[in-house]
Amino acid sequence: MSSTEQGTSSAAPAEPTTAPESAAAPEVPESFYYVHGKDKVVHKVSAGALQHSALIHGMISNLGYTEEQAKANPFPFENIDGDILQMVVDWCNQHKGKPTPPEDTNLPKQKEKLFDLVLAVNYLEIKELLTYCCKQVAMMVKGKSPEEIREIWMIPTDAEDEAAEKEAKKRAGKEAAGETAAAAGDAK
Amino acid sequence: MSVHEAEMAFLQLFEQLEIQSKSSKRRFPLLKLPRVVLLECIENLDIFEIIFFSLLSKRVKSIAKSVCLNLLDIHMSSTEKGPQIWFKLPNTPGLDWTIDYSTEIEVAAYPFFQSFFDGPHANHFLFIYDNGIEDLKQMVDHICEVFRSPISGIYIFDESHIEWIERIIKFQPTDRVWINKDIIKSVETLDRVFKNLKGTKYFRLESISIDENFQYKEPIPFRSITIDNSHWVTLSSILNGTNSIIRLYESKFTSKDINTILKEWQTGSKLRNLEFLLIQTTTSLDAAEVFEELNWTDGDEIDGRPTTV
Repeated sequence: MSSTEQGTSSAAPAEPTTAPESAAAPEVPESFYYVHGKDKVVHKVSAGALQHSALIHGMISNLGYTEEQAKANPFPFENIDGDILQMVVDWCNQHKGKPTPPEDTNLPKQKEKLFDLVLAVNYLEIKELLTYCCKQVAMMVKGKSPEEIREIWMIPTDAEDEAAEKEAKKRAGKEAAGETAAAAGDAK
Repeated sequence: MSVHEAEMAFLQLFEQLEIQSKSSKRRFPLLKLPRVVLLECIENLDIFEIIFFSLLSKRVKSIAKSVCLNLLDIHMSSTEKGPQIWFKLPNTPGLDWTIDYSTEIEVAAYPFFQSFFDGPHANHFLFIYDNGIEDLKQMVDHICEVFRSPISGIYIFDESHIEWIERIIKFQPTDRVWINKDIIKSVETLDRVFKNLKGTKYFRLESISIDENFQYKEPIPFRSITIDNSHWVTLSSILNGTNSIIRLYESKFTSKDINTILKEWQTGSKLRNLEFLLIQTTTSLDAAEVFEELNWTDGDEIDGRPTTV
């Protein structure tokens, strides 16, 4: 599992501690890349672990970074909270080069954390982890009644949906009117 | 009742809670997920959970409809304890899903789930309080709409079902219809059933409550018919029909009637679609008269099964 360190996205990160190596050392030295989230904490992750993420894997392939360049330019994921990125990195390291089991019991049980994790995993295109997350989301309502499902998943009623739609239309109308007035002002 | 009204009725039934005032900390804003992810989450729900989810609002119902689960084998039937809606997914033949309407325990306990395992066979039950037949009809309407599946079979056990079935069959193909005994009480109802349910492949009618002297002379418009207490079915009704499978019980056909049917079937001038015929009569038959002028051979079989390979 990789350890992390505090750093900034703009400055080159200090030397992070290395990720654990598999028992059988690879013949070719493994290359490492660096990612950071909203909290700027830089995570050193092996290319093998990052293969889980179609997004990062694509970036690596396209950029053709050397290790030094990768260290100097960590991939910034400003839309992902630091603790969530840490979970993702941990998962990628744990499942590096291994067949993924049918169930993963290590996902967060807290609903707000799971929501952020799902968004991050979807953004990073980690298909297998997304599958686990979606199963976990579905498990939240196992054996629940309709009103419990509504509460857990925050499903608005039809009346609430209609009110929200009206409000959105009203806001859009106001904004359009504002833009028209501004354009007329500019024309003068 | 409109679909929206039906939904509202369900929500009232399940005592919809006001959720807006509750803290969002312990909840999961499912509808804020990207559409593809949201659908993947829904695909992980079981059938009952999808049904409950789809009942929550028009918006989530349309989401549930996007999930490709259109292979449900839907039956509506009745047991001694109450009506049931029964599904079977063709890819899991050993697993049944049953929505059971009952009043056996106190209202507050509903809805609840139970699973029963019998060897390799499993049955998941969802028990809902039986508020009357309207709830069941609404649920069937709702399920048909969400899963867009043909109905495999409907057991009509109340006269009020007939009008509803006629309506549902117009947009939802239905393979089999069973009508419980004494549900049909007039010639008009019988005519209406034959006219409006004619898309049905299999039709079973238990005894009817019409005058004993009533006779039906028109063809019966279903591919496969099984009629109990079929004394009212006439020879012309059978001869002019296009049925493939005919099972008549407690018929009043005579030996001569059956001989006529067999001859017409053998010569091929009528009954060209007929593949299987079973007639059980209340009259005594004369075998010689039944088989008169027929080309027949002795079958080397026991109950239709050959004795040699």
